[in-house]
Amino acid sequence: MPETPQHVNPSTDLSGGLNRRRLFKMGGAIAAGSIATPLISSCSSASASEPLRFWNFYSPVTQEKEDLQRQSDWFAKLVSDWNSSHERQVVLEYIPGQAYSGSKLPTAFAAGNGPDIFLISPGDFLRYQTGGVLADLTPYMTQEAIDDFFPDALATRTVDGKVYALPMEIEPLTIFYSRPAWERAGLSEGDIPTSWDQLLNVADKLTSASSSGLVLETVPGYYQNFTYYPWFWAANGKMFNEDQTAATFAGAAGEQSLRFWADTVRTGVAPRTLPAAGDLVGALSGGQAAMWHSGIWNVVAFQLNAPDFDYGVFKTPWPSGGEYTTALGGWAFVANAKSRDAQAAAEFCVYALGSMEDHSINRMVDWCTYAKSDIAPRKSALQRGTAKGGYDTPVMKTFKDDIFPGGRGEPRYPPVVYKAISDAVQACQLAGADPAQAAETANKAIDAYLKTYDGPRME
Amino acid sequence: MTTATSPTDAADRSSPTAGPPAGTAGGTTSERRRRERRAGWLFVLPDAIGLLIFLGIPMVLTFVLSFFRVNGFGAYDFVGFANFQRMFSDPQFTSSLLRSLVYIVILVPLLFVVSLALAILVTKKIPMIGVFRSAFFVPYVVSLVVVGLVWQFMLTDKVGVVSRLFSGIGVEASWLGDPKYALASVIVVTVWYQMGYYMIIFMAGIQDIPKEYYEAATIDGAGGWASFKSITWPLLRPTSFFVLLTTTIAALTGGLDLIYVLTKGGPANSTTLVIFYIFQQAFQYGEFGYAAAMSTFLVLVMLAISMVIFAVTRGGRFDND
Repeated sequence: MPETPQHVNPSTDLSGGLNRRRLFKMGGAIAAGSIATPLISSCSSASASEPLRFWNFYSPVTQEKEDLQRQSDWFAKLVSDWNSSHERQVVLEYIPGQAYSGSKLPTAFAAGNGPDIFLISPGDFLRYQTGGVLADLTPYMTQEAIDDFFPDALATRTVDGKVYALPMEIEPLTIFYSRPAWERAGLSEGDIPTSWDQLLNVADKLTSASSSGLVLETVPGYYQNFTYYPWFWAANGKMFNEDQTAATFAGAAGEQSLRFWADTVRTGVAPRTLPAAGDLVGALSGGQAAMWHSGIWNVVAFQLNAPDFDYGVFKTPWPSGGEYTTALGGWAFVANAKSRDAQAAAEFCVYALGSMEDHSINRMVDWCTYAKSDIAPRKSALQRGTAKGGYDTPVMKTFKDDIFPGGRGEPRYPPVVYKAISDAVQACQLAGADPAQAAETANKAIDAYLKTYDGPRME
Repeated sequence: MTTATSPTDAADRSSPTAGPPAGTAGGTTSERRRRERRAGWLFVLPDAIGLLIFLGIPMVLTFVLSFFRVNGFGAYDFVGFANFQRMFSDPQFTSSLLRSLVYIVILVPLLFVVSLALAILVTKKIPMIGVFRSAFFVPYVVSLVVVGLVWQFMLTDKVGVVSRLFSGIGVEASWLGDPKYALASVIVVTVWYQMGYYMIIFMAGIQDIPKEYYEAATIDGAGGWASFKSITWPLLRPTSFFVLLTTTIAALTGGLDLIYVLTKGGPANSTTLVIFYIFQQAFQYGEFGYAAAMSTFLVLVMLAISMVIFAVTRGGRFDND
């Protein structure tokens, strides 16, 4: 008997009473639902009762390294303390460091969905302030609290006398060195350099086939510029004239500092790429580098990850005719002026770091002497931290008494200025460009920018 | 003997005049065709909606954005063609675009040849070939960030494995820290990372070629090279076209993650490809309008290159198509 194909009309009868039209309707409903649901939920996320979002790159997250876990715990405790005493709740949202200011934060603000509270670096401050998204914190602070901050720490976060960000730390740059490497090279404490020529000479003695004598930052970016500024300032460099109408980078200081950076690579004492993928503690303790220009935050990393390693720090040398200085970095708390509850966000920042309450001062002490190793940005916190023994170790004592006092706050140059300087540094350090020519090119770019710039002072 | 006939076969064989009687469950031929066409559209619809939402609309918005100065915080000022004018007078944009073209010219042929060579190798009957096939493909399934970090360690000055190897034969170089070598190093890492994927594509193409052709060629006395030249290469034309087109587009618009991890565009901008420069302008400097203008221009460049590839390769069609 011949087989008769099942004569089914696929257009009308699929299975079990489910026809195509019905299927289409169902599909349409599902599609509409899937589009509408996020819209509805995003609308509801803006409701007044929702907690304020605090974006950061520390917490909540479980860390393997103890120092990082301490930092995560510090944030968690801050939010827990606030939430237990305030009606408006705050929730921490963790963004990995690379993505934080690299893409997530700008994208969120561009989409009109920036966090209520977030952390900001000096390099980004001016762009966000002139963009109108930083809330003025001054009304929520007492004058006594404002005066309690070191002037340099607040100056780069203040516009027209109004405080827009509260620093959580001061991070001076200096030179870390490996004592075992020095001993192997026949050097002693008496050889600690104070001038650039001496530094090059010592670095040369410390350089070997497997170890770099001196490491300066090589990766282009805001951080490299931050590490370059002390060398420029130490040569009496000024980026602008007094009324900020013309660039003065192309002077002797610009050329001299760029030449020094170029010489470190040209003479072979500094590498073109960072040893140990930028891990200073690993590189110094593993014998891959003997000296490294970096910041105070490495102290706690040494303490927890290489506690027995013998290292020291000394002030960044300066050229003849120049003077000692360093750059003081560090992140700050800011409140989003466009937050649905900007007042609560601003109050949170002040509660955390800017009130005269004991908890606020002690919190800063904990951050700067336990969770991290930093200079406290408030006089009272630095005193309490010192009394608690937070600056008792020789290295931290050197930072507090010798390195920090000569420092200057990290400037808040906008992207065009940053990029011009970055290109000059990179060209001289790694591409063999003529320092005078590179400084002149950068100067022209900054000058052109200043012609149309009418914002706040950049340093 | 009976033959199972599908409704589609039946519909194809029926002529318009001798179709099934009106009122039967199958309906008339034209009605069926209309329904099939509708069904086809319904199948395509989800993908089309996805493309429209995630590609079409963003592209239009990017184009519109390129006529505005955007501060990244909600302020939009209409500036006409100012962003495009700025683009052509920006030496960093033109140099990054030229660098991207150099990158394409070196990367695409290299990736093509290496992937094809690997595909030919792994389709041979060699012991343990499955292990090699997997090994070649593994880099592609590893996160690009991990790839970047691993290679960064290997290429580190003095102590990196690669640096030590070259140092052993008297070649001292900073592979990622010297502008002379940095882009070449990025290309090598990219080839290493992507070759497994394109090897699989070529493998599929090679396995589609009937074995009888090779058997006949062997009987006729053809060697390996002659077989490749006369059989493999011409019959791989559609696959080659696909690989050529996708690697070119990927080279122009991709590579951002790897460069971000490996070099951050340095040293001295020597690995700042145009896509990285656009990223910097948008996300590091907040110049979203300018970045949109450059992206729009990049789409046009990509379109032009694709058209040239289509024209030269005839879209991968065989000569008698």
